Amino acid sequence: MNKKTPYILIMPIVLLGVIFIFGVVNGIIQSFGYIPAFNLVNVTLSYYKEILSDPTFLDSLKVSLQISVISSVLAAILGIILTAALVYTGHTEGRVLQVIKLAIIIPHTIVALFSISILSQNGLLARVFYRSGLINTQRGFPLLLYTKNNLGIILGYIWKEVPFVAYFSLALMSGINNTLGEASENLGASKLKTFLYIILPLSMPAIRKAFLIILTFSFGAYDLPFLLGATVPKALPVQAHIEYIHPNLRHRPYTMAINGLILAVTWAMAGIYYLVTKKGRVKGDIHEEF
Amino acid sequence: MKNFKSNKLLNIFLYISLFIISVPMVILLLWTFTGRWPWPNLLPKTYSLRAIKEIFAPHARIFQTLFSSMLLSLSVAILSVIIGIMTARALTLYDFAGKKLIAFLSIAPNLVPGTVFAMGIHIVFIHMLLSDTVLGVIIVHLVYTLPYSVSIMRDLTQSIGERLEMQAYVLGASPFKSFIYITLPLLVPGIKTSIGMAYIISSGQYFITLLIGGGKVKTFNMLMVPFIAKGDRALGSAYALIFMVSTLLILIITDRVTKKLPYQNDGRKYKWNWN
Amino acid sequence: MNSKRFISLLSTIIIALLLITGCGREGSISKPPGDNGMEAVSQGFNPDTDFDQILEEAKGNTVNFYGWGGDEDRNKWLRQTVAPILKEKYDITLEVVGMDIDDILAKLAGEKQAGLEQGTIDMIWINGENFYSAKENDLLFGPFIEKLPNFEKYIDSEDEEIKYDFGFPIEGYEAPYGRAQMVFINDSAITGETPRNTDEFMEYCKKYEGKVTYPALPDFTGSAFVRTLIHDIVGHEQFSDMEADKEVVKKAIEPALEYLRELNKYLWNQGKTFPATSGEVDNMFEDGELVMTMSYGSYSVAVGKEKGIYSNTVRTFIFDRGTVGNTNYIAIAKNSPNKAAAMVAINAIISAEIQATQFEELRTLPIVSYDKLTDEEKARFDNVDMGEGVLPQDELLDKRLPEMPANIVPIVEEIWLEEVVGK
Repeated sequence: MNKKTPYILIMPIVLLGVIFIFGVVNGIIQSFGYIPAFNLVNVTLSYYKEILSDPTFLDSLKVSLQISVISSVLAAILGIILTAALVYTGHTEGRVLQVIKLAIIIPHTIVALFSISILSQNGLLARVFYRSGLINTQRGFPLLLYTKNNLGIILGYIWKEVPFVAYFSLALMSGINNTLGEASENLGASKLKTFLYIILPLSMPAIRKAFLIILTFSFGAYDLPFLLGATVPKALPVQAHIEYIHPNLRHRPYTMAINGLILAVTWAMAGIYYLVTKKGRVKGDIHEEF
Repeated sequence: MKNFKSNKLLNIFLYISLFIISVPMVILLLWTFTGRWPWPNLLPKTYSLRAIKEIFAPHARIFQTLFSSMLLSLSVAILSVIIGIMTARALTLYDFAGKKLIAFLSIAPNLVPGTVFAMGIHIVFIHMLLSDTVLGVIIVHLVYTLPYSVSIMRDLTQSIGERLEMQAYVLGASPFKSFIYITLPLLVPGIKTSIGMAYIISSGQYFITLLIGGGKVKTFNMLMVPFIAKGDRALGSAYALIFMVSTLLILIITDRVTKKLPYQNDGRKYKWNWN
Repeated sequence: MNSKRFISLLSTIIIALLLITGCGREGSISKPPGDNGMEAVSQGFNPDTDFDQILEEAKGNTVNFYGWGGDEDRNKWLRQTVAPILKEKYDITLEVVGMDIDDILAKLAGEKQAGLEQGTIDMIWINGENFYSAKENDLLFGPFIEKLPNFEKYIDSEDEEIKYDFGFPIEGYEAPYGRAQMVFINDSAITGETPRNTDEFMEYCKKYEGKVTYPALPDFTGSAFVRTLIHDIVGHEQFSDMEADKEVVKKAIEPALEYLRELNKYLWNQGKTFPATSGEVDNMFEDGELVMTMSYGSYSVAVGKEKGIYSNTVRTFIFDRGTVGNTNYIAIAKNSPNKAAAMVAINAIISAEIQATQFEELRTLPIVSYDKLTDEEKARFDNVDMGEGVLPQDELLDKRLPEMPANIVPIVEEIWLEEVVGK
């Protein structure tokens, strides 16, 4: 094998990587107030300072963290169970999987649409309660959406992310079950023990990757929090969006600064996650690199 | 030694999950044909074909947009797989300078808010004459699909390893031939998943397609989003269903095409079916 | 056998990909591309040339009209009614592209920064604060409107809304497109009352507690609704030259803020949270969760009834002291590659003929001056039957309040967020 081969192989991704870095850097520069198109030519930290000193910033940060952490942890746990269910019932292909894929295909705005259809005080669940005599008016049904505990948003994310975690981890878990899992059971271990000590730990690489993806995504996305969230406090990405649609175009640096802060928190989350999970890793295992 | 109880519980969990996923689909279907659906009706009060008529009206050009969208996302998916295989191979089987950096770059796009990258690259692309072009859109979509493609292909490449390929090489096959005939067929499951995932991500992009495509590159998603945002539930549901069905179609076709290939890898290292 | 099949499959894919992606965009940044072999029209396009020459230049071109794509009826009207007229009369092809104004302006801003002299956007559907910002940041082409023959022919150039957009001088940079006015909507079969002022409105909300609300600001409709309430309480004249300072504005609207806080108690969810979009409020009204909604489209009830969304007893009403109304416009992008065609198309859109079709098909209030119409044209507008439950045009226009200046509106929205929500 050629010494040069790897360098040829990585050419495309290097090219795209450069484009990516270029774009991100350019975007971050805008957050420092440098947007010549709007006659903003002074590089400054003032936009960051203004946002950080705004009392609503911490509230927004809390909202975003709450949504992403709770929904991702629950989605990961339920996702693991779903993956196990698919593996143990032998449904790793075919119709059942198509239904799971459906959930992954659907855009978040549609999730908001039917969440409102089902969960609002006027929604199908409320109407079922009304029909069965449990409540008398729409207001009798508890408010699940638009609340400060962001329940509706969390449920919406879980709906989409559990299938995603399952789909992502299925191949790995299925493979391990077929080889090592079978071997373990043949040697006499119970199904539960095999799962907890062999299959689950060895599937963790895929599950971990999926967890990080849904954690960062739910922190930075704005569709669900915008449509299903409370008017105040707003999640961070919603706040960024509001600044983006502000008619005064000179507000653009605010958008980019909030996005810059989202980026910083996202990286912090990823960093913390790696430090915390360092113990469980097998050194040298290629799966464990990222 | 089957433990029936645990299987039953898992089965129940599975069917509950399927139920939770399917119910919204049914609701979308109902909404597509709804005229009015006020409180406290459990089913629509009046049915109507308004949404169907509006969506299939000739001026909406839905089939052209759908077709060109599908072609775009399919191109992204195929390119993504090819680059994914190449990168995965490099990262798994070789050692080279900057390896860690490349590995990190492969997951970085997930860690950056979409608007930052989009607004930043927009100006760069204008300079490069890539704005408002299909190629520009394909490139930015690739930035978001590659993390998944690379990751999936890495797992698979690593589990297959080099040994079979080496054996073929030792027996006299050229490196290229041993890759094509030995390794590639074993990569098929990963290729399948990779194409699916990349297609889904590409067809789901909105803001970046809007900004880089500049309205000239029209995807189905761009057609769909304003109606959902406006809150027209009938029309939004109709668009959503067409979107889902078309995507599912692509995934099924990908499945069938890859099934026809003679070599299968179902997780057991050295098994393949001879025809 | 398999290898050959595989290789041919691979090559087909690669060739297909190359064909699809094609080359990058044609032309370069500063070289003007000649569309359809025409002369370099847009590099140094001079709007002062004789309109007949502009008509000549426009022939055979395609013009791209960018604007919000969520109005299916408008899209249909543009493609099926307006486009054929433009093609037949002026040999111009109209392309309609759906894009939110914020994204349009983001695109133009990026193109400005990169120095792109020939963009892809020709006509823009725009108004208010967005127009102000776009003009201020040099993203628009103009002045052009006075060069349009139909401007003289059909438009009342002394009309406040033709000279000013949200209080700021237009100076010929955008042409009027349609009129909008805030109206309130409810169902006479469910609530017989139609509150005619803010006091009656408070009583209405007390009676139907929890069943009235409005979209959270800065939603366009929600913002207009709150501003209508403000005007009913503190009047409107003082805003036209108010200083754009938060404290000044707050002081001016303080009585209205108190009213809004008091109102919260009787609103949906006690005013602790508001629906994010006007579409949401409309849906809740359709479903019976709310007894009232509001809209900028004065005849949206007529349209809704036709579509079967509203029952027959739904009707519109407004306050005695009036509701805010505005005009929306079409502007031309500074880097439009088809400025001649854009001007011709806009000229056609402000004609009585096309305005009449807009009134007939979309029920949008026209921008042509009634007095300037011929009797035949007047009859065409008069004959449009709006059906039951809507207000006649002259009553609406009689009770029309001007919008606040473009730089005051965001301040009001900010204050609402801080002082009203959840209080």
